Amino acid sequence: MAARFSAIETPSRSGQITLRVPQGTDLAEWYFEQGWTDGLPVVPPTAETVAACIAALGGEPDFLECRVPPRYGGLTREVLAINMVMAGCRPDYAPVVRAAMLALTAPAFNLNGVQATTHMAGPLLVVNGPVARAIGMNGGVNAFGSGNRANATIGRAIRLILLNVGGGTPGDLDKSTLGHPGKYTYCVAENEEASPFAPYHVEKGFDGDDSTVFVIAAEPPHSVTNHVADDPEGILDSICSAMSTIANNNAVSSGHCAVVIGPEHARTIAAKGWTRHDIRTYLHMNAWNLFRELTFDHRYGKIYNRNLPRHYKRELDSRIPIVPSPDHIHLFVIGGTAGRFSAFIPGWGHMSSPVLRGIEGSGPSGPVCVDGTCYL
Amino acid sequence: METLEYLTVFDPRGRVDAERVALAPRAAALKGLRLGILDNTKWNANRLLRKTASLLEERHGLAAVHYYRKESFSKSADPVLVAEIAAANDIVLTAIGD
Repeated sequence: MAARFSAIETPSRSGQITLRVPQGTDLAEWYFEQGWTDGLPVVPPTAETVAACIAALGGEPDFLECRVPPRYGGLTREVLAINMVMAGCRPDYAPVVRAAMLALTAPAFNLNGVQATTHMAGPLLVVNGPVARAIGMNGGVNAFGSGNRANATIGRAIRLILLNVGGGTPGDLDKSTLGHPGKYTYCVAENEEASPFAPYHVEKGFDGDDSTVFVIAAEPPHSVTNHVADDPEGILDSICSAMSTIANNNAVSSGHCAVVIGPEHARTIAAKGWTRHDIRTYLHMNAWNLFRELTFDHRYGKIYNRNLPRHYKRELDSRIPIVPSPDHIHLFVIGGTAGRFSAFIPGWGHMSSPVLRGIEGSGPSGPVCVDGTCYL
Repeated sequence: METLEYLTVFDPRGRVDAERVALAPRAAALKGLRLGILDNTKWNANRLLRKTASLLEERHGLAAVHYYRKESFSKSADPVLVAEIAAANDIVLTAIGD
């Protein structure tokens, strides 16, 4: 379509390509025609809006932050800025978007596989610390839904980068059979104010004043309803029920998952003195399937299942945990303060490990206890 | 930067720096060659590969068949493993087998 608009390729100062189109061109339509969108109209960048985002990233537009698989396009600060503007981000979201991309391109995450898989997983971002409050992120009412600019556009910027720079175009390099709605945007904050527990990043050794972004390749959230239990066990048994199906990817491919406790459930659990560690351990011990369920009693031939850890006993009545250890359960308190709901968010499997990254240079300062033996 | 005639638009894709690498020459005949099988560890890959290898052996008479496994179907094979396969085989067979 470039020819139709008589576009002229002119290398910009930074070596990236800017184009010129005639005055009066409908820019939203023009970007659609290039295929540089997620299916929704993009905000057409201008020299000024791109420059503001580059400045928020520390200048140096040619600085290469990372390469984004499976296309391995170079994500310079200028390219990052362009995609941020297209997504509708404000410049002060820049540190979060950058930290998320650096986390997603860490080898442990295996973004190449996440982008290309036939499974529906997409990256979920959870932001902790003061930056979430400073840029107005929502960890409260309808946190996983619509209505908050920071949540919506940070997640969208990630998706545009995965599409435009990473080449994760559906049907081309993204082979997902079904996809899921979070592949437009999938970004929330933990509701630290409403949580009776230590924040997630503090559990992992960061200081409470640090800000972090956590990324996990994830299925959509599955609601957990429990309006009757007044103790931790009852609420957590409902979460175990959501976890213990043979259909989610953790059940058959192991790996990591996320569990979201709603604030009302969290208060009930905390009132009995339970910690995050108690919750994760209880879920790990009580979320399982029998091997006979996973293998359909071998009625389609004898199944070993190479995606489960080698050390699992593969007898028909063996209990097969949903995830290999309590540390494979990433626990967050998120949601509005009214409503007795939680959620289970299955991961992709052993093929990808979540990454927690400090925003703007913060790093873990180590265990909060002197001897490092306590659990939050 | 804007003139009366033009609007500036931005390419959001980023540059790909890639080097073109030639494929290995295709084997003209299979008889007497050493076959490496790379199992990606997908659900049905081993069944598909073993059956295909046995048919190749039956029809063409291979000198040897060597079996290898990737650590994860979703990740690239370990470069050490790739070097080992290249050194010990003339041709390599792999498959997804999902």
